[in-house]
Amino acid sequence: MSDIQTPRASHGAWLSPMQQQIFRDLLHVFSYPGRVAECTADSMTWLALLAALTDGEVTLADPHGLIAADIWPKLEARSGTPGKATFIVADGGRIMDFQPCTGSLESPETGATLLLRVAALGEDLDGGVPLNLTGPGIQGNTELFVSGLHPSWLIARAGLAAFPLGIDLLLCDERRFAALPRTTHIEIGEML
Amino acid sequence: MNIHYEFPLEEAGYAFGFLDEYAKKEVRRTILKAICIPGYQTPYASREMPMGRGFGTGGLQLTLSLIGTNDTLKVIDQGSDDSVNAVNMRQFVQLTCPGVEVTEKLEEATLIQSRHRIPEIALTETQVLVLQVPYPDPLVVVESSEARRKIMHAEADYSRLLVKLYEDIVHFNEITISHRYPTRINRHYVIDPSPIPRWDVPKLNQSPALILFGAGREKKIYAVPPYTVAEPLVFDDLPFRVEDFRDEHGQRRACTRCGATNSFLDEYSDDNNIKIYQCSDSAYCDGQLAQHQQREGKA
Ligand SMILES: [Zn+2]
Repeated sequence: MSDIQTPRASHGAWLSPMQQQIFRDLLHVFSYPGRVAECTADSMTWLALLAALTDGEVTLADPHGLIAADIWPKLEARSGTPGKATFIVADGGRIMDFQPCTGSLESPETGATLLLRVAALGEDLDGGVPLNLTGPGIQGNTELFVSGLHPSWLIARAGLAAFPLGIDLLLCDERRFAALPRTTHIEIGEML
Repeated sequence: MNIHYEFPLEEAGYAFGFLDEYAKKEVRRTILKAICIPGYQTPYASREMPMGRGFGTGGLQLTLSLIGTNDTLKVIDQGSDDSVNAVNMRQFVQLTCPGVEVTEKLEEATLIQSRHRIPEIALTETQVLVLQVPYPDPLVVVESSEARRKIMHAEADYSRLLVKLYEDIVHFNEITISHRYPTRINRHYVIDPSPIPRWDVPKLNQSPALILFGAGREKKIYAVPPYTVAEPLVFDDLPFRVEDFRDEHGQRRACTRCGATNSFLDEYSDDNNIKIYQCSDSAYCDGQLAQHQQREGKA
């Protein structure tokens, strides 16, 4: 491996320096819900995030068939059902039609992480639906604008289970991503 | 820590950050879940490190999973950058993470690994603090079964812990816990904040920086996310208090080196057995001293 010698030679999502950078961006967006990070890898945002997170230890569900067959081996994840998988990648524009795992009292960390593909997101976005956010990581409140996210995801997220159980969302558009951990309280505002 | 450790070289050199990519990914996934569930002791598979557990392997695993070539690392042990532990840990990271900068100046650091102290100067959003934890579970003193403790934590059932705390208070007539003060995060999980003094506990509350805790022996990672409520467990008739550094005349003691009257002080005895007080945070002390010298130079 020549990763050490050429840490920034490539923007490939499969190389460890890029995965470290993406992880730090993930750390940032989960720490500060509603803030938007730029995906620096030269692949689709949700795929770059998955590449930074998965290996043979995790199960991954792809109910909407977003992952190409030749990508699966690279992610190393075992294929799982949406009801049981630790990671789920889905088209956020479609209605939510499965029940993800929300963890247990003994092991709330087994609540799933959902990567949802949306049309666009931003801290300021024309035509986006404003999500008013409060909770840990947010000073007072903040707004995240999203377009192309079916409301069923947010409604289900709030109704699935009470803290510490729950699911954690990563919203991904073409180039950007933001996190909505289970602790974030969301009020859906009126579209501008 | 064994600084003469030889790295396994069978695979054309060792990985950046010492840990293999699978170990890092596991720690990284665990960190993200720990942030999503503030204060929850998230389990992970701790890897063997070339130093005995108890020397901060949990903190080091976090640091090695976080760090990249854009980072500047500061390592502190009991407030000092110069203690043997801090120096060894810093050298280990320099050796295994080529391209990473190290510093003693807090404001230059993006990553801070610490044992027993939170720096005096407030952290910022561009920093992450990693604290080494020897004993992660505050409920051990009242419940020996981990399975039962997990349920108590999940239900935020801390009645027995509160009773135990109160008994100590009644017995000693004040809160005698000097370190590891049980602290409630986001009004749910109670954490052991690691052996920081009470002085540092308020710094956990609404911190602009993410604070991560690593317990290598117990294989647990937990987090206090930024801008999150962190409250020491208290009783109405006995409010939480930080250490009192006033002398017998009620005067706030000053650091004998830099003169600061707003820092956590360590107590020493000099050669004549007279007590002297000095900032525990050595970088803060250096900074205060440099400011005084600058002012005197100008005057
Ligand atoms: Zn001083």
